[in-house]
Amino acid sequence: MRNLLDFLLNYKHWFLFVALECVCLMMLVSYNGYQKSVYFTTANGVVGYTYSLISSVTSYLNLQTENADLEAKNQVLRRRVLELEKQLATVNKDSVHISGLAPKYDIVSAEVVGATTHRSDNLMTINKGEADGIRPEMGVVCSNGVVGVVYLTSAHYSIVIPIINRNSRISCKLRGTQYFGTLTWNRGRADIADIVGIPRHAQAKKGDVILTNGFSDIFPPGIPVGYVIGVKDSPDGMASDLRVALFTKFDCIREVSVITNYSKPERRNLENKADSLFNNN
Amino acid sequence: MTYSIVHNLVRLLILLVVQVLLCNNIHIFGYATPLLITYVLISMEKGTGRISLLLWGFFTGLLYDMFSNTAGMASAGMTLLAMILPEVLASFSPHDEDEHVTPSARNMGFWSFAAYTFMCMFVVHTVFYLLDAFMLSNFRLTLLSTFAGTALATVLAVFVDMIFNSSKD
Repeated sequence: MRNLLDFLLNYKHWFLFVALECVCLMMLVSYNGYQKSVYFTTANGVVGYTYSLISSVTSYLNLQTENADLEAKNQVLRRRVLELEKQLATVNKDSVHISGLAPKYDIVSAEVVGATTHRSDNLMTINKGEADGIRPEMGVVCSNGVVGVVYLTSAHYSIVIPIINRNSRISCKLRGTQYFGTLTWNRGRADIADIVGIPRHAQAKKGDVILTNGFSDIFPPGIPVGYVIGVKDSPDGMASDLRVALFTKFDCIREVSVITNYSKPERRNLENKADSLFNNN
Repeated sequence: MTYSIVHNLVRLLILLVVQVLLCNNIHIFGYATPLLITYVLISMEKGTGRISLLLWGFFTGLLYDMFSNTAGMASAGMTLLAMILPEVLASFSPHDEDEHVTPSARNMGFWSFAAYTFMCMFVVHTVFYLLDAFMLSNFRLTLLSTFAGTALATVLAVFVDMIFNSSKD
């Protein structure tokens, strides 16, 4: 005890010195805005660094539980993907490709307000026109498949030439191949059309599905048209003519969609120019 | 003892007035201000106890800080100087000197006193400007301010020493 007292007495000026300097530093960081801010910033930096060190160590220790968590979440998601895929498959069976088109193509929905199906030049009137962005030569589809091509437009109505019109010509192909022909209609039943010009070696058979092939600038490729119900040789024997049952039910059609941004005027101008060249010659 | 306290207090007051009214308006390089008030410590009698030196240093610095809005800076520097003052003084004064002699140009010789003053001023100014900058970026300016302040304060302190000691005679 006595030694301790001696020690304290011997070094009392050191204690006083340290105490006074501490007082000075405390005053420095309490009463000077700049020094205060520097002190606290430095202090925060040190504390932040320490905490980040600690967390980087503890995060390794927690990896196992995190892995288990992630695995459980993965399982839930996998199950959900399977369910959705199943749902998607059933959805695709019924109402096709309009939803499939949606991200790529702008679509204007319209209602059929008038249609004929038993004349040789059937026409269809829909309740959307130029005011909705519809112009002649735009493709019209419904949930089952291709409907026709816009022919005339007014401000709020449009006339569509359906594929059950003798003037309709639509380029089609067999699904799964690149063989193509032209879809035409020759009066008669409103649910059956013909395809001419499919090469014989395409070996089309009953039940083959017909899709648009995207050669025209009216329809994007891959829109269903119908399925083959009969195959016979063409008169010249070079190609096959196909009888096609159309997917679109023209006698009870109500809702259609017009594809408004697929048509490319630039391409059409070029093709028209080429046509006029040949015609002049 | 009482005489020397009163004597030191009077000097402290005079120097404080000079410091606040005159020296605080000098800003070399925009920063360097001579801390002439350090002369109070420099002229402390040889053999003064360390405790009283520390208290004198601290409170002189505190007074300066109160008048200059530099809380803690000058008091920290002058407390440090007070702590090492006996050693600094011993290294600049002859060993066979009287125990209670007052450091001055007359007692120590002009150049010894000037060197002793420079040394003391350097300690105080270094601490002061380091705490003022509070970080090592822009260290060159801190160094410049320290040396400029030290040099000017040394010149002024020697000048003040001449005035005080000639008035005694």
